[in-house]
Amino acid sequence: MSRRRIRNILLKEWALLFTDLNSAFVITLLPFLVMGQAILYIWVARRFAGESMLTTQVFQTALQKLVEAIPGVAQLPGDEQLLVLLLSQVNFFLLLIPTMIAMSVATFSIVDEKLSGSLEALLATPVRTWELLLGKALAGAIPALVMTWISAGVFLLAVSGLGWGDLSGFVVTTGWFLTLFLLTPAVALLSFMLGVAGSSRAKDPRGAQNAALLIILPVFALIGIQITGIVWFTPLLILVLALAIGIADFIALRAAVHLFRRESIVVQWR
Amino acid sequence: MAVIETFGLSRDFGKTTAVEDVTFAVEAGEVLGFLGPNGAGKTTTIRMLAGMIAPTKGYAVVAGHRTDRDVEQLHEVIGMLTQMPGLYDRLSARRNLEYFAGFYPSIQARSQVEKYLRLMGLWERRDSKVGTFSKGMKQRLALARALAHEPKVLFLDEPTAGLDPEAAGEVRRLIRTLREEGRTVFLSTHNLNEAEMLCSRIAVIHTRLLALDTPEQLRRRFFRRQLVVQLEAPDTQVAQVVRKLPFVQEVHEDGSQLILELTDPERNRPELVKAIVEAGGRVIGVSEKQYPLEEVYLKLIREEKQNES
Repeated sequence: MSRRRIRNILLKEWALLFTDLNSAFVITLLPFLVMGQAILYIWVARRFAGESMLTTQVFQTALQKLVEAIPGVAQLPGDEQLLVLLLSQVNFFLLLIPTMIAMSVATFSIVDEKLSGSLEALLATPVRTWELLLGKALAGAIPALVMTWISAGVFLLAVSGLGWGDLSGFVVTTGWFLTLFLLTPAVALLSFMLGVAGSSRAKDPRGAQNAALLIILPVFALIGIQITGIVWFTPLLILVLALAIGIADFIALRAAVHLFRRESIVVQWR
Repeated sequence: MAVIETFGLSRDFGKTTAVEDVTFAVEAGEVLGFLGPNGAGKTTTIRMLAGMIAPTKGYAVVAGHRTDRDVEQLHEVIGMLTQMPGLYDRLSARRNLEYFAGFYPSIQARSQVEKYLRLMGLWERRDSKVGTFSKGMKQRLALARALAHEPKVLFLDEPTAGLDPEAAGEVRRLIRTLREEGRTVFLSTHNLNEAEMLCSRIAVIHTRLLALDTPEQLRRRFFRRQLVVQLEAPDTQVAQVVRKLPFVQEVHEDGSQLILELTDPERNRPELVKAIVEAGGRVIGVSEKQYPLEEVYLKLIREEKQNES
């Protein structure tokens, strides 16, 4: 029954999502804007800064870590080493897509229903809190994930189109696939879970939006950690990270259910 | 058999008591009107009965389920119409109903949705977005939503509030249909005429339950039965004759009307008419004086306020 109810919520959420121009825009166009921006930064960095970037301590450390992880990179000329370093950041940059979509969509998912009064009617049905929250989180996370994968495909096409295809073997590694197919789903679900939890506790849409800002910070931290060479995310490390975030998904769902106060929602929102 | 039973049901919000020690029972197939001024605890009581909020003291049993314990099972057998229709404006009427019906495992959602869209007169507009509906149409759709899973008990929280007279009349017609079908309905309303029109019994609440009875019995609690004899013209002589009749307790003259209190209004009526006619009075009509329920309601509320002060 739970599966039927969650599916019911998913289908309704999608019907609402794609009849709302703002949400449809965020889900379909934002991923390409993020990806386009990443490619543009790399192109600009290579074109105008080039090898001089490698003289900075930060990039030298990061490059050293990259060479340790993929020894073949050491055989490449300096500018191509830089290019591989920058392109290798994109898989973490992709994590921004589901988190940004979550910020825009998930954070309003409960607040909107509180305001319209549909939540009270919904809470009078036999739906369980965890079914409602998971359904809402999945309804956002699944399209966000699909768009992230499509964006990854677009990225690979762009790499080839810009004449960097020879280097794709250094970029599309085991770590790349693990990030895309394990870490990204875990991060997407966590972002939406936190977004929905924040939305259920928020007193108004502005509060929900402010809470959402916190979702994106850990992703920026991951990008920063890798690009500054503090830690290079090897396949094993990505696997461990994905597992940890998977556990965090479960904890976030439990916490969201705990924080979801049916009584307060019914009494305080009219 | 009682379908709704409450036992000392109470609810506090901080230091404020919204509902205090309310005990009553509603029989299966009964339409109970729940009346009270704003802030009297009507919505809080409905929410407790529907398992949406827990009582601070006491408990309630609805369709065999404790409302504070068996919430999920309770929600399968009740229907609720909240004050706000709470529909999704961007979805069609049919999609709205299918969504809510999809939470009940025991029903064929599609056929139930069709049945109630037709009953509410919305079938022709089934594929229109709810955002394009009038307030009355939205309320009818919300009523369809509350009924689609064939609940044993239906809670209606001010179903005609904010509707224009035509839309309110339409909603009342639908509630009357439910009454004829023998459904148990708990109707919270401000509208006394509506309560009298639709309900077999009426409960008046002002934090505490002030009264619960049929409209007729509530009237008798405050007003003695009076008979109104409409004469063709004012006639003091006839009034004097009537005053002397042994079963007449009191007579008031009001123009061409005689307002009488009799020992037994049913049995004394023929003799009364005969006596008036014999005294030369020309009777146009005899009827029982109807006090508006509003007067009963206001008396109850005033008494309660006096007790409080």
